Amino acid sequence: MADPFVIETVELRKRYGGVEALRGLDLQVPPGSIFGFLGRNGAGKTTAMKILLGMTRASGGDARVFGLAPGSPRESVDIRRRAAFVSEDKGLYDSMHVGAMVRFTASFFPHWRADLERKYLRAFELPPDASIGTLSRGMRTKLSLLLALCRGAELLLLDEPTSGLDPAVTEQVLQALVAYVADEATTVFFSSHQIADVDQIADRVAIIERGRTAVTGALDDLRRDYRRIQLVFDDAAPDAVFHAPGVARVRRSGRVLTLLSSAGAEQVVDEARALAPASMDVFPVSLKEIFLETVNAEE
Amino acid sequence: MFWYKSWLDTRWRFLIALVVLTCSAVLTVFAYPKVVALLPAAANVGSGALGRRIREIAELERSYRGYVWVQAFRQTLTQLGVLFAVLLGTGGLLPSGSKDTALFTMSLPASRNELLGARVATGLAQLAVLAWAPALVFPLLSPAIGQTFTVGSALVHGACLFVAWAVFFSLALLLSTSVRGAWGPALIALCAAFVLAAVDQAAGGVAAYSIFAVMSGENYFRTGALPWAGLLLSAAASAAMLYAGSRRFARHDF
Amino acid sequence: MLLLRPSPSSGVPIYLQLIEQVKHAIDTGALRPGEQLPGIRPLAEELVINPNTVARAYRELEHDGVIELRHGAGAFVSPQARAKKLTDRLRAGQATVAAAVERLRARGVTDAEIRRLFEAELAGLSRVGGHRG
Repeated sequence: MADPFVIETVELRKRYGGVEALRGLDLQVPPGSIFGFLGRNGAGKTTAMKILLGMTRASGGDARVFGLAPGSPRESVDIRRRAAFVSEDKGLYDSMHVGAMVRFTASFFPHWRADLERKYLRAFELPPDASIGTLSRGMRTKLSLLLALCRGAELLLLDEPTSGLDPAVTEQVLQALVAYVADEATTVFFSSHQIADVDQIADRVAIIERGRTAVTGALDDLRRDYRRIQLVFDDAAPDAVFHAPGVARVRRSGRVLTLLSSAGAEQVVDEARALAPASMDVFPVSLKEIFLETVNAEE
Repeated sequence: MFWYKSWLDTRWRFLIALVVLTCSAVLTVFAYPKVVALLPAAANVGSGALGRRIREIAELERSYRGYVWVQAFRQTLTQLGVLFAVLLGTGGLLPSGSKDTALFTMSLPASRNELLGARVATGLAQLAVLAWAPALVFPLLSPAIGQTFTVGSALVHGACLFVAWAVFFSLALLLSTSVRGAWGPALIALCAAFVLAAVDQAAGGVAAYSIFAVMSGENYFRTGALPWAGLLLSAAASAAMLYAGSRRFARHDF
Repeated sequence: MLLLRPSPSSGVPIYLQLIEQVKHAIDTGALRPGEQLPGIRPLAEELVINPNTVARAYRELEHDGVIELRHGAGAFVSPQARAKKLTDRLRAGQATVAAAVERLRARGVTDAEIRRLFEAELAGLSRVGGHRG
């Protein structure tokens, strides 16, 4: 049985007491992709990952990883055998030293890659005798990444992998991920606030807002489809309604009318021409703008 | 793997407890000659409840065996042991520990039962050592002051300590799965111990099945018969609490 | 590979940027016919971009006849004839654009305005779906 998706959630819900962290999240992560998961703080990204790994139980909906159910104790152990997780705080055993931490983790994985362990210990310059509590944030991140990569995981779940890192270490981390994906049959699912990182290495993205999927798709498709169309008029911009599909946002300011279209510019441009603007410009839209427009639109 | 981790998490508590309990046993042995010298004075203590208690203790302490029972098994080891049993039952792999560390542990391919099982097994093994080490001090060192204490007695008392302490260990563990924080579960368990001890005192000697009677091996001391009922009930209580704890742990949202 | 430097945050798909930059490199002679291009994995690692992106760019370049993917050996710039066809087409296009830009500048249109005019024109003229081969 081959599942088309490594991760699939349908209407996933999670309630903590009175707070609804997830309100029907839909995700589909195909194998081999680098999937960027964007959302504001508290939007539900970490909760979703914890549910996928069986650390937290969902309140409703369905979640599958490798076709297995994380809600089942036995299947969730299988999931954790094949997937690796790096939490946002890079929690490790502070009292252990690096070498012991590596040995401890390796003891759970019979297919531990000693070759990758040597490679990353060297590349990341991790001192085996250093106590983990004394490591900088960058070193902790690299160690956490090493522990995730050496276990031969088919899926990497990374919660804010580059947060708090300087640009050099960030590049090192992204490079290690990209090289790993190129060499091994692996899927990477990572949440991030660093939109530039997502732009750089992700091929699919999902934007989560208030516990729901707001935007999802191939990143190149989003880049192709999203356009900002700017119309300037001789007099005050008209309060026009656009019937073209995918007009996500219309903003009026004085003589300028700005539209965000998620389905390409052609139909919108045709409608816009009918308004007889003095000038019309079409611009590509960056992922950052898509993100900001999406999360602001929900308010 | 998790055994090693459990050991790392609890080793200082365990080692301190071992030193304290063993030393207290050693001190008890070597204090005996001085206590013997003071015993006649006890007869002159006034009447009243307190006076009666002091005379009762003095009476017991005439024999070395009675002295050891009163001082060590009924008093010091019991009090200290409950404290250490509770401390061993809290913290470690349970949610009261550091949040980020817990997420790493929970991301490993082990079931919750395996995790908790290693924790419980390590804790109980440590409790067993903590029970028998000081108990065996008595047969080993008593000859140094010209007294004897049988190995059999030591083993029985050790067993009673272990089984009764396990009840408080299990209580602390169960509380750890429900109450957040490192100190909450410990405080509640210790309060429970105090309450039980107070009830025990108030009821006099009526509570034959009091946990503290089991702990000190009172029945065995007085009659030579092993307190089977008390031991079994204690073991059952521990098992029930550990099971409840494992159910709670299995359902916890990290 | 110092010739290729895509800009990930520009909103233009990275694979398209790679395609354009490879074509431009061939056009200017920085890449010669028959010369080998970096492998997908080393290029992805060097540029720190998704290997799938590099793979897609290479596939399209092969489809356009700009490069050849030799199984087991790597990617190579196509021999003279095909590259030249593209180069000729591009040169002609370049001449047209140069003339238009010069005329617009003569009228006092700034470079930024010229760029926007081209963008708007391309958006208005492209087929539905927006994909240009």
